[in-house]
Amino acid sequence: MSSLSNMSAEEISELLDEYGIKHGPVVDSTRNLYEKKLKEAMAKGKKAKPSPDKTFYREEEEEVTYVYRTPAKSEDVRDSRTYMRSRPEWTERELEHSASYSGYSRSDYKGRNYDELSHESPKYTKEDFPTYGQDAPKAPKSSRLIPLWVQFLCFLAVAVFLYLVFSSMESNEPLKVIE
Amino acid sequence: MSSTSQKHKDFVAEPMGEKPVMALAGIGEVLGKRLEEKGFDKAYVVLGQFLVLKKEEELFRDWLKDTCGANAKQQERRRTSSP
Repeated sequence: MSSLSNMSAEEISELLDEYGIKHGPVVDSTRNLYEKKLKEAMAKGKKAKPSPDKTFYREEEEEVTYVYRTPAKSEDVRDSRTYMRSRPEWTERELEHSASYSGYSRSDYKGRNYDELSHESPKYTKEDFPTYGQDAPKAPKSSRLIPLWVQFLCFLAVAVFLYLVFSSMESNEPLKVIE
Repeated sequence: MSSTSQKHKDFVAEPMGEKPVMALAGIGEVLGKRLEEKGFDKAYVVLGQFLVLKKEEELFRDWLKDTCGANAKQQERRRTSSP
């Protein structure tokens, strides 16, 4: 076995892993220390290659925040729902899944007109729901501050109000309801 | 954890900035000199070494022992000194 001082930094690092010694980078200031540690380990006669138990950390990317420009066609409710769904932490697979979709919708956003986009977003959300339900045991059921039916109700109220306003504008006769 | 000395309290009371290595709790003149000879002249350099050792206490302890011949208690103080 070549002497430790002749080994390259990578070799020392590998040896340290073999002996199961947790270590940082093999730099000038740490090299001495690691060589000594290896000498001790070898003297103790530890197994040369214990099973490597490296922990693989999935790099969880940061939360992807979506910015949906809601078209005037009041896709508000649906979009707020998707936005809230994107908030909780995603597993890697979902992230790929969603990232590809978000890239798709974002890149095509400018090209297409609103109608097509509004068709895309329901597709997106539908696909999302099943995977989200299955693969995210951690994430709780999406907690809404305002329950969905209240949102619908508000939307309906606003729609009715707007309708009244518009209709009263078109015809000069006031509606019977307002009277 | 063992009770902290006045030197320790002084050290952790504020960011270490450019404090010399002898300001570290447990590092007096002798040990400080040895560290300075090796190039660790400021407290933050010792902090850097701790970080390079991936904040592993045991490794840091061993390193200190090698570098300046500090005993166990002094090393512990050193480690707790770093933020």
